[in-house]
Amino acid sequence: MALLSNTAVLLGKELRTEFRSRELLTTTTVFVLIVIVLFSFSFDPTSAESRRFGAGLLWLAFLFAASLMLQPCFLREQTSDTLSALRLSVSDPFAIFLAKLVANTLFLLLTELMLLPVFAVMYNVPVLPTLHWLILVFFLGSLGVSIAGTALSAISAQARMRELLLPLLLLPLLTPILVASTEVTAALFAGSPYVQWKGLGFLAVFDVAFLTTLWLLGEYLLEE
Amino acid sequence: MKNLDSVFAAYMIGWTVFFVYYISIARRTSVLREDIERLKNSLNRGK
Amino acid sequence: MKKSVLSAVVVLLLLGVAAYGSFFIAPTDAKQGLIYRILFLHVASAWTGLTAFFISFVANLLYVWRRQPRWDWLGVSAAEVGLAFTTVVLITGPIWAHPVWGIWWTWSPRLTSTFVLWLLYVSYLLLRTLIEEPDRRALLSALFGIFAFIDVPLVFGSIRWWRDQHPTPVVMGEPGSGLDPLMYRVLFFSWFAMLGLMTLLLRQRYRLESMRGDIETIQRELEAA
Repeated sequence: MALLSNTAVLLGKELRTEFRSRELLTTTTVFVLIVIVLFSFSFDPTSAESRRFGAGLLWLAFLFAASLMLQPCFLREQTSDTLSALRLSVSDPFAIFLAKLVANTLFLLLTELMLLPVFAVMYNVPVLPTLHWLILVFFLGSLGVSIAGTALSAISAQARMRELLLPLLLLPLLTPILVASTEVTAALFAGSPYVQWKGLGFLAVFDVAFLTTLWLLGEYLLEE
Repeated sequence: MKNLDSVFAAYMIGWTVFFVYYISIARRTSVLREDIERLKNSLNRGK
Repeated sequence: MKKSVLSAVVVLLLLGVAAYGSFFIAPTDAKQGLIYRILFLHVASAWTGLTAFFISFVANLLYVWRRQPRWDWLGVSAAEVGLAFTTVVLITGPIWAHPVWGIWWTWSPRLTSTFVLWLLYVSYLLLRTLIEEPDRRALLSALFGIFAFIDVPLVFGSIRWWRDQHPTPVVMGEPGSGLDPLMYRVLFFSWFAMLGLMTLLLRQRYRLESMRGDIETIQRELEAA
């Protein structure tokens, strides 16, 4: 199918661009690290409290980082004026969004998985027993953040004050992700062997709903 | 009849919000009307 | 001119009757006494706010599809009016909570979700101020408005689940939790009266927006000449 092959090509471009410089990954990872450390100054990160607050802090850090990381997504195309070339190169504009959101999900997931061991050590939280579930919730949550963030990045790139605008638009929209991901992650940190299916369900519904909406509205987001 | 003042306060504040909002629309409308007058005048002068 | 004065009077009358019903017709609540009567204002405003946001959502869809300015005007008007009603919900919530539970803010599902809703539509209005070109502004804000409204059921659903996971002793008497049938009738009448108020405000706000649209068109023609 043309959509998949177009997406694959564009995805390759996105990944190659990023892995050449790795600037997005490094700055995002460092930013999350800074937020995690700063959080520890606002309360006493002893074992009992950190397990209670840890999941929320982690996801807040992820969300803040994502809202910064997603800004260059369409801004880059605008400043180098590659957007029209991009649109001409594909038959379905959704390929552009698909490629970007897959790439963004990958970057977010990589950042999160790199920081998980650091977080586990600093806040004394057990992650190995439930690692597979953690990866699942990280994936579903990051996917949702990516879908909404990529769509909104296309909007904010065309407005003023775009650096402040993207977090402003994105963070309230991502409330369901924050709520559901934190609940599932907190239960996993507390040592529950079973994952909260309802929470994962919310994440999946969010992902499907926003992906569908993006699929239906994508071409309008890229209108000249 | 305790808490009657709270109930009153809630209704008063609620209606005040709507009233203030209505007034703000009216004010913005009259400002726009003045702008339209000004535009009409400049159009007439241009002719 | 006459018709708008008449409709305003009708709405005021409806609101007056609703208020009378809230204070005198609705029976006294066994647990909360007098204070629960705020519910008729609080819940009716919440439902009306959601109605307004739904109207905004439909207008946004229609704009993206048809590109007629009138849908943009309706979209922003409904969003602003919805925000007014949502603000009343957020103000009456603490006024209700404080005498009953001694705290100003309860993290009840409705109040929390309404706060997020309020933030979403404030962002919508803020977005509009940051785009100057009228057609671009209309399109981009309509698209954001669509995403925002899709989010609404997810926000309410996830927050309700979140509060179910952490039940607190503080539970707002949310409707459906044992309302007397007479109370329901007063509540629905209050909502009906509020919808009248919403229509009134919507019409005024829409007129303002259409005037602004006309001015922008004239200014553009002046500049082109």
